[in-house]
Amino acid sequence: MSMLELKSVLAKKFAECISNYTLKNSNELYIEVDSPVTYNICSYIYQELGYPLISMFAADEKQLINSYAVYYVFADRQEGLLLIVKTMVKANKMEITSLSKIIPAADLYEREIKDLFGINPLGHPNPKRLVFHSNWPDGKYPLRKEFNLKQKLDFVQEKISFQKVEGKGVYEIPVGPVHAGIIEPGHFRFSVAGEPIINLEAQLFYVNKGLEKLCEGQSIEKCFYIAERISGDETFANSLAYCQAIEKIAGITVPQRAQYTRVIFTELERLTSHLGDLGGICLDTGYGFATFQFRMMRGWAYNLADELCGMRFLRSVNKPGGIRKDFMVGKKSILLKYLQKIKKELEDTVDIIKSHSMFIDRVENTGILKPKIAADLNAVGPGGRASGQCNDVRKSFPYAVYDKLEFEIPKHYNGDVNCRMNTKIEECFTSISLMIQAIENMPEGKILEPVTRVEPYRFAFGMTEAPRGENIHWIMTGEHNSIYRYKIRTPSFCNWPALCHAVKGNIVPDFPLINKSFNLSYAGNDL
Amino acid sequence: MFDIIKKIVKYPRLTNNYPDKALDSSLFIGSPEIDTDKCKLCGECVRRCPSGAIKINTVSNSITIDYAQCVFCVLCEEVCRSGAAKMTNKFELATKNKVILQKSPWVIDENNIPYESQALDDLLQSKIKKTLGRSLHIREVDAGSCNGCDYEINGLNNPFNDLERLGISFVASPRHADMLLVTGTATRNMQLALLKTYAATPDPKLVVAVGACACSGGIFRDSYATNNGIDSLVPVDVYIPGCPPRPQAILYGILKALDKV
Repeated sequence: MSMLELKSVLAKKFAECISNYTLKNSNELYIEVDSPVTYNICSYIYQELGYPLISMFAADEKQLINSYAVYYVFADRQEGLLLIVKTMVKANKMEITSLSKIIPAADLYEREIKDLFGINPLGHPNPKRLVFHSNWPDGKYPLRKEFNLKQKLDFVQEKISFQKVEGKGVYEIPVGPVHAGIIEPGHFRFSVAGEPIINLEAQLFYVNKGLEKLCEGQSIEKCFYIAERISGDETFANSLAYCQAIEKIAGITVPQRAQYTRVIFTELERLTSHLGDLGGICLDTGYGFATFQFRMMRGWAYNLADELCGMRFLRSVNKPGGIRKDFMVGKKSILLKYLQKIKKELEDTVDIIKSHSMFIDRVENTGILKPKIAADLNAVGPGGRASGQCNDVRKSFPYAVYDKLEFEIPKHYNGDVNCRMNTKIEECFTSISLMIQAIENMPEGKILEPVTRVEPYRFAFGMTEAPRGENIHWIMTGEHNSIYRYKIRTPSFCNWPALCHAVKGNIVPDFPLINKSFNLSYAGNDL
Repeated sequence: MFDIIKKIVKYPRLTNNYPDKALDSSLFIGSPEIDTDKCKLCGECVRRCPSGAIKINTVSNSITIDYAQCVFCVLCEEVCRSGAAKMTNKFELATKNKVILQKSPWVIDENNIPYESQALDDLLQSKIKKTLGRSLHIREVDAGSCNGCDYEINGLNNPFNDLERLGISFVASPRHADMLLVTGTATRNMQLALLKTYAATPDPKLVVAVGACACSGGIFRDSYATNNGIDSLVPVDVYIPGCPPRPQAILYGILKALDKV
């Protein structure tokens, strides 16, 4: 459905309830809705039009419209459209009607908004705290403008209750936040009877740094560096999403050469990340030889990053308006050399691991994420694509020069560790091919169109396909080139609940393997 | 099986000999430095530094970079009009005293910096080294990083660095550890977990802060949910600056804690 058709359909159905239509940045349709009918309109969009809820956030707009605003973001992935329902929440009536019962994906967003803004989702099935743990005092909401960023609140002592599974022989296994491996912190509460897991509740947000609040009021230059540090191994994807949003607001066209360079770095980051994940899957099945093969290839990918820009995590490569430096001058032969070497080794290694029946036995039918659950929770990235959700931002919302390059999105339907592994293997080859295409077709020319100033109170989305999946940033600018509100939704936020479903019915020793096959970022989730 | 043997023969040894043999760091982007002769103290880099690491002392008319806070983002080099700020390829920056990091690049003489209980500290150090002998067991704690530092610590286990060749290994529990390798700002939600992990590590123990966040809070300083570095909660033996520090920079810091470099 095109933007105009969509507008007329909505106008016909909800003529008197929608007060304002605004089209922004060519594919973002904002509709303003009175709060009593938000529930009806959102359920219509979700159920009748079939648009998934891909993000939801609130903003303190008391200075602008004298109320809080809640944004529900729906996506038409076929047409590449975003439909944003905006509803006002007055300071004297801080509540919205919960959508969680009809849109399961809304669950976490509503709890997040409740913690950060104090907007109460009425009728929410599980209104437990999400962002803050038991140490946080009641009645303090950091994303309200009057909250002082630097204040340190007292620690309170309360008890957190976990979902209780009762029955004969049922017991709980608490794991974390400090884990046995070298990974990020998170607490997992397994309810187990015998070996199989009946339920898993993940308590995350241990590495919550108040990142969204930290950005508010800061210059767009400084926030770029914070955006790079949202999640270490997704540096480039996050910085690119940030840059895209700023570029849209400033109305800047990024030079072609910079766009091609961005494709190369995005794909290099994906390749590095996937090689690490594949190594991790092999490690958790006790397959030492293959682990070290993948770690060797990952090492080569890091060496390539060093050769290209001197930064292993591709930091300070991007810049709003283009890239910092012309990194690709004279680097073609070395890039191709490394890519050929990695490709050859990857082919060999994949042949070896796939002919190993004991390994395949372990990964096949382990940790199945059912397509229905994946769709309900809006599971994205390789985790979603292994369960039949064939969405990829590079295809549905093409950015940089992805519309000019040829590539296929892997499709798998079984949703087990094996499918996620195969998805990642195929994506590694795709990334290598995309990098080769980009370097072959790269034009000469400028690399940066500097962003000198941005208009206040403009907003835009930046979307990228991070190694872990769909990555959505929303920025509203403030006065004097600053950020008024920055909402980050990384793929990990969508996939954590999906992971909790995937482990059900599996034995506890398979949890690390299933976890590794998703390889979600804690930092990207917790912000 | 034949394929596996073929690969083992093809790649017999990838491990580099660091620290015995210096690393070719010509490609690296390391710490920034300011050339005092060229610097006109215009203050542009001070205003724009995203982590607030560069400071001008108006009394002595000098400019310093606090490496504990620096995120190595190259912006100072970019905005410097007189060409005084330059990125170097130095990556071995770990020190035992934060003051050294803060006064960089002028005060480099480690031995002349007086700090409290130096004698006691020396005594303790020699005792620790005696106790630990040649092997060291490390527990890594992520107390609120962006996961960059954690991936670099993971990198110490890859075939290129292979930490175990030096008798150093990672263990699964703090109760088995001699050293805590802490990354991140020590967030509000991780504060208790970090303290408990520290308490669970048997004495004598060493604590190493990895990355700008752990050294000083880095770019995430002064937020309601973070602390400005882990030394506000636990005593730190060695600070490793970087955002994130390279695996070899971390290795250098670990060896520094053992006085092996």
